[in-house]
Amino acid sequence: MNEAKGHALSLRGLSKKYGEFVAVSDVSLEVGRGEFLTLLGPSGSGKTTILMAVAGFVAPSAGAILLDGRDITPLPPEKRDFGMVFQGYALFPHMTVAENVTFPLRVRGMSRAERDAKVRGALDLVQLGAFADRLPKQLSGGQQQRVALARALVFDPALLLLDEPLSALDKKLRAELQEELKALHQRVGRTFVNVTHDQEEALSLSDRIAILNHGRLVQAGAPGELYERPRTRFVADFLGKSNFLDGMVHGATASGFALEAGAVRVAVRLPDGAAAPPEGARTLLSLRPEKVALLAEDEGAENIAEGRILSFAYLGAGFSLRVATEHLGEIRAVLPAWKAPIAPAEGLPVRLGWAADAAVPVLEDAA
Amino acid sequence: MDGAYRTGPFGRSLAWVTALYLVLPILIVVPVALTDQRFLSLPQEGISFRHFGTVLGSAEWLGSIWQSFTIAVAATVLSVTAGTLCAIGCWRISRRATELVRVLMLLPLIIPSIVYAIGLYRYFGPLGLLDRFLGVAIAHGVTGIPYVVITVSTALAAFDPRLEQAARGMGASLSQTLRWVILPRIAPGIFSGAIFAFIHSWDELVMVLFIASRQVFTLPRRIWDGINENLDPAMAAVAVLLILFTLLLLMADRALRRRSEGG
Ligand SMILES: Nc1ncnc2c1ncn2[C@@H]1O[C@H](COP(=O)(O)OP(=O)(O)OP(=O)(O)O)[C@@H](O)[C@H]1O
Ligand SMILES: [Mg+2]
Repeated sequence: MNEAKGHALSLRGLSKKYGEFVAVSDVSLEVGRGEFLTLLGPSGSGKTTILMAVAGFVAPSAGAILLDGRDITPLPPEKRDFGMVFQGYALFPHMTVAENVTFPLRVRGMSRAERDAKVRGALDLVQLGAFADRLPKQLSGGQQQRVALARALVFDPALLLLDEPLSALDKKLRAELQEELKALHQRVGRTFVNVTHDQEEALSLSDRIAILNHGRLVQAGAPGELYERPRTRFVADFLGKSNFLDGMVHGATASGFALEAGAVRVAVRLPDGAAAPPEGARTLLSLRPEKVALLAEDEGAENIAEGRILSFAYLGAGFSLRVATEHLGEIRAVLPAWKAPIAPAEGLPVRLGWAADAAVPVLEDAA
Repeated sequence: MDGAYRTGPFGRSLAWVTALYLVLPILIVVPVALTDQRFLSLPQEGISFRHFGTVLGSAEWLGSIWQSFTIAVAATVLSVTAGTLCAIGCWRISRRATELVRVLMLLPLIIPSIVYAIGLYRYFGPLGLLDRFLGVAIAHGVTGIPYVVITVSTALAAFDPRLEQAARGMGASLSQTLRWVILPRIAPGIFSGAIFAFIHSWDELVMVLFIASRQVFTLPRRIWDGINENLDPAMAAVAVLLILFTLLLLMADRALRRRSEGG
């Protein structure tokens, strides 16, 4: 990967208002050279608006957009030189695949011979060399998507913007194209900014993810970091699934604390450098279902909760259980089938266990 | 039409009667044009093509046909250029003010042409445009704009605005976007508008009566004068030729539309 080829992008206090309605509110974000950043958020959270502001189609109400340190906020879209794949592709229906891909080169006044070579290269890159003379409507959804990608890449843009490029595809094709997209990113070494509301896509593709809600940036970081250490309840809930345990902080030390919930205490070990919440404060813990184990009769764990199985679902690779516990409410557990010590059944009394570093404190979302 | 409601006999006969009522005046012209008499009448002893011969052999008629044709071509160019640009402009800006512009552009359709003609007469005089090719072409071109605005606006309504964004995002200037993306997509609409603008000029009489007299003598004007002065069946022959020509244009429009829908 040639990291120096991509642009560095930074958003400084970006806001967009439509009348009274705030679509994007004070978003600041850095995207490094050659990085694959995903904007993730529920519908209406402002992802497209941010991408359109970067592309130049939406004028921000406040804030600045910098490309390699240069302010590009006032530049019109045609002066920005970004590749873009729109939600729904936006291929030109009256042009063949090759003509579509040639378009950005034709605009730049490139000679025919040079154009042809580049177009062939771009189509080969997305494995569509054989389809050059077809019209977009004669292609499948996945093929159209790849044409849109080839068209966005052919003029070698230093920044590629993708607005839900895979949303129209079925699950299997999407998984295939996700891999292709990731490989492509590695091959071309450009900066990619991708928009999605599919958390799996975000986790598997990105170097970094920025999570948005109601137009605000909630948290940004590497996928593993966001998944393991969500800052708020919203992040824990949106990126994967989570149990939430509510209680008071008790016996806080440098390395951890206990959460007092009813008559039980949950031991929490914090990673190095993380500050414990203040003694006596009300705190919320996020506990991932896959970190909860179903204990065998004589097995121990740092935290143990007893309860009864409310319901269970067989997922093929494993089970998903809902367990009603006495003091901690309902807890979900997801366990691989080979790791289940007993066959689950409704009403069965069980013991759940998890390590002290499995649960992490998260903030309640600001209303 | 599978699954559609079937019309009852009453509905069907009503439709036929209406259609007949609409085309009867057109159809009556055909036998009159083929009359063997020397005045406007139905054929008595047999049909004859001699009135067609009169028309096609007369320098006056041919001159008028040629004049009407060139005026219509010039007017069409004017209508299409102005109408297309106006429709695209309104579509791109698309604010409340542009709605007003669009309504204004339809005014020539709404205002009775005789009122319009009086107005034209008043201010074409000082400009020296009365009885001039240019004057008539401008008058017809301007009043033809609404047809183009309507057809092009309709075509634009079906145009995906993201295509324009995509083009601009790839670095295309406004004129490149216009030439390579927008115009090819709305070409059928422009062509329809052109045909209607052409027909509009081709058979326009009221304005011509006001702003032209001797030098510019269009085909409708010659028919009008002919009917007022003598009831020569040559008029009916001209009318038949006019109808055939118009039909041809409409068929071209239909064929083009069908091709753009199918293709
Ligand atoms: N032109 C506009 N005028 C008014 N409100 C708008 C406009 N465009 C977007 N919005 C609003 O701004 C908010 C953010 O829209 P945006 O398109 O950025 O959402 P998104 O995160 O891309 O959602 P999705 O996942 O559904 O595509 C939405 O509530 C939307 O209704
Ligand atoms: Mg969107």
